[in-house]
Amino acid sequence: MIDLSIEIAGIKLKNPVMVASGTFGFGREYTPFFDLDKLGALVTKGLTLKPCPGNPPPRVWETPAGMLNAVGLQNPGVDVFLREILPFMKTFGVPIIANIAGFNVKEFATLASRLSVPGIAGIEVNISCPNVKTGGMALGTLPELAAEVVGAVVEATSLPVIVKLTPNVTDIVGLASAVAKAGAHALSLINTLQGMVIDINTRRPALGNITGGLSGPAIRPVAVRAVWQVAQGVDLPIIGMGGICTANDALEFILAGASAVAVGSANFRDPLTAVKIVRGLEQYCIQNGIEDWQELIGAAWKGNA
Amino acid sequence: MEQPPKDWDCPVLEQVNVSADYYLLSVAAPQVALSALPGQFVLFRCGTRYDPFLRRPLSIHQVKRERGEVSFLYQVRGVGTRWLAGRNKGDAVSMLGPFGRGFTFSGRGKRGILVGAGVGVAPLLFLAGELSALDWKLVILIGARTREGILRAEVFKHYGNVKIIAEDGSTARQGTILDLFREEVEEAHWEMIYACGPVAVLKGIQKISKETGIPAQIALEERMACGVGACLGCVCEGATGETVRYLRVCREGPVFDSHEVILRD
Ligand SMILES: Cc1cc2nc3c(=O)[nH]c(=O)nc-3n(C[C@H](O)[C@H](O)[C@H](O)COP(=O)(O)OP(=O)(O)OC[C@H]3O[C@@H](n4cnc5c(N)ncnc54)[C@H](O)[C@@H]3O)c2cc1C
Ligand SMILES: Cc1cc2nc3c(=O)[nH]c(=O)nc-3n(C[C@H](O)[C@H](O)[C@H](O)COP(=O)(O)O)c2cc1C
Ligand code: FES
Repeated sequence: MIDLSIEIAGIKLKNPVMVASGTFGFGREYTPFFDLDKLGALVTKGLTLKPCPGNPPPRVWETPAGMLNAVGLQNPGVDVFLREILPFMKTFGVPIIANIAGFNVKEFATLASRLSVPGIAGIEVNISCPNVKTGGMALGTLPELAAEVVGAVVEATSLPVIVKLTPNVTDIVGLASAVAKAGAHALSLINTLQGMVIDINTRRPALGNITGGLSGPAIRPVAVRAVWQVAQGVDLPIIGMGGICTANDALEFILAGASAVAVGSANFRDPLTAVKIVRGLEQYCIQNGIEDWQELIGAAWKGNA
Repeated sequence: MEQPPKDWDCPVLEQVNVSADYYLLSVAAPQVALSALPGQFVLFRCGTRYDPFLRRPLSIHQVKRERGEVSFLYQVRGVGTRWLAGRNKGDAVSMLGPFGRGFTFSGRGKRGILVGAGVGVAPLLFLAGELSALDWKLVILIGARTREGILRAEVFKHYGNVKIIAEDGSTARQGTILDLFREEVEEAHWEMIYACGPVAVLKGIQKISKETGIPAQIALEERMACGVGACLGCVCEGATGETVRYLRVCREGPVFDSHEVILRD
């Protein structure tokens, strides 16, 4: 057996494969498919302070090798999450990372503090959602604002703080440096890219929200590039995501500098994707005689592959 | 824990082009056959690469439990269903399911009216079989734009009194399925309406159900990503409560009591 465990910002993972926020609900829907304790970690759907109804349908639209979504952070709110959902999630036996989405700096801090409870292993700060009008990506594209949010969150919790960045910027390294300085403990790269589709039959935008977030294999090269650049410019562990469907895809991210990966849209095609990737990573290590898989992290630029 | 949804790779037993661009696909899927309920659906992976990326939902049309066989009636609409139509006997298709909340029914010998517009008849055959096994008296209305769109009428005859109508007059009756439906509703006493088809038809049914007080169950479609309730992609608007509340078609549906949802085109 290959040991695939790793510690990221103090969070101990039995393997580096997690599931990405918003693509796995709160885990419940996937329990019939496999034992969720096979995952490295589970990231919740984005949580807001108050219950959020989300955007009108249609909310998803298929695109070449990917999809657009404009869910708009539908979630039951942090209170219901803590009262009714977290107790159930704790039974999975995996670290739970709470993804938070405030509409201003103060809300982010309040969410982080409310979620600093036993059972939550870390906070993922979503300053990158393209589907809400205030907060979300609006806060995540300006380094000063992003740093302000992260500073407030770090202040509000003693849990590890992971900051999820948007690729919809010209200088992602600058953004990453700013949040690193503000006290972030790790980075998630990347959230969805902003996109849209026009239905030629109705001659109207296809999505209810007009624009949406692009995910799936179509965005993988963008995500790998982001990880590659940030890993070399900023000294924080990175959780890589964006179109990961196979162990080979995951390895690309690891070689680019990610210490862990998250499976997003690929869960929709095959609910077993994450567990298959864990197996694939083990096989890669065996086949290539790798004893410490962590040597692979950033090996594409460190030159020690 | 819930029943694990199955099967992944299932052999195709038969693929029949029933009419125009409508196909009937039968697969060997013993687990699905055992657990499926009328109104539930299955997710098909169409293709082996990443385009198309998402699975396609199709309703369960017919189930032969003892033979472990399940069949699907579908229209070729785009890249996914075209790929599916190219599968032949002996090929394997990746399916997940069954999923969703199906039609509900209880009691014996009741009177039900089934309304299937276009390929909307797909989930109704399985339902008709189950209801008829409970001695329900059924009238089955099948409508479409043209004669080619009137699907499976002969098979439905095993389970009830079938009436057909095409909008272009290529059948004995000309008009929309709602014309037929209004007449039937006036003529007799019904205990339940079951319907599937385009939103315009379902809206009409919803209205008549409200006016007459006859309960109606309607099967909705919405674009899906996960099909299991995790992505929140497939919602429709719930009609209860004052604030906007979205219900997942794949989980709270696809079958809803008609008063539960707000239908929008
Ligand atoms: C619960 C449910 C049950 C269904 N049952 C049947 C059935 O029994 N027979 C049948 O012919 N059709 C059924 N449909 C519709 C069927 O899923 C679509 O026609 C099919 O997905 C079209 O795929 P495509 O690749 O051929 O078309 P494309 O237009 O290329 O598909 C692109 C995308 O849109 C989605 N999509 C397109 N049309 C629809 C639609 N009407 N509803 C939902 N998603 C859509 C596809 O899944 C895909 O993600 C059902 C839909 C749902 C939601
Ligand atoms: C339907 C859907 C909902 C999502 N919801 C969230 C969310 O609530 N919070 C968040 O930070 N990211 C959210 N994301 C982004 C994913 O976590 C991930 O960053 C992105 O999809 C890229 O990975 P992928 O290509 O593997 O899907 C969502 C993505 C999808 C497809
Ligand atoms: S399709 Fe994902 S919640 Fe219904």
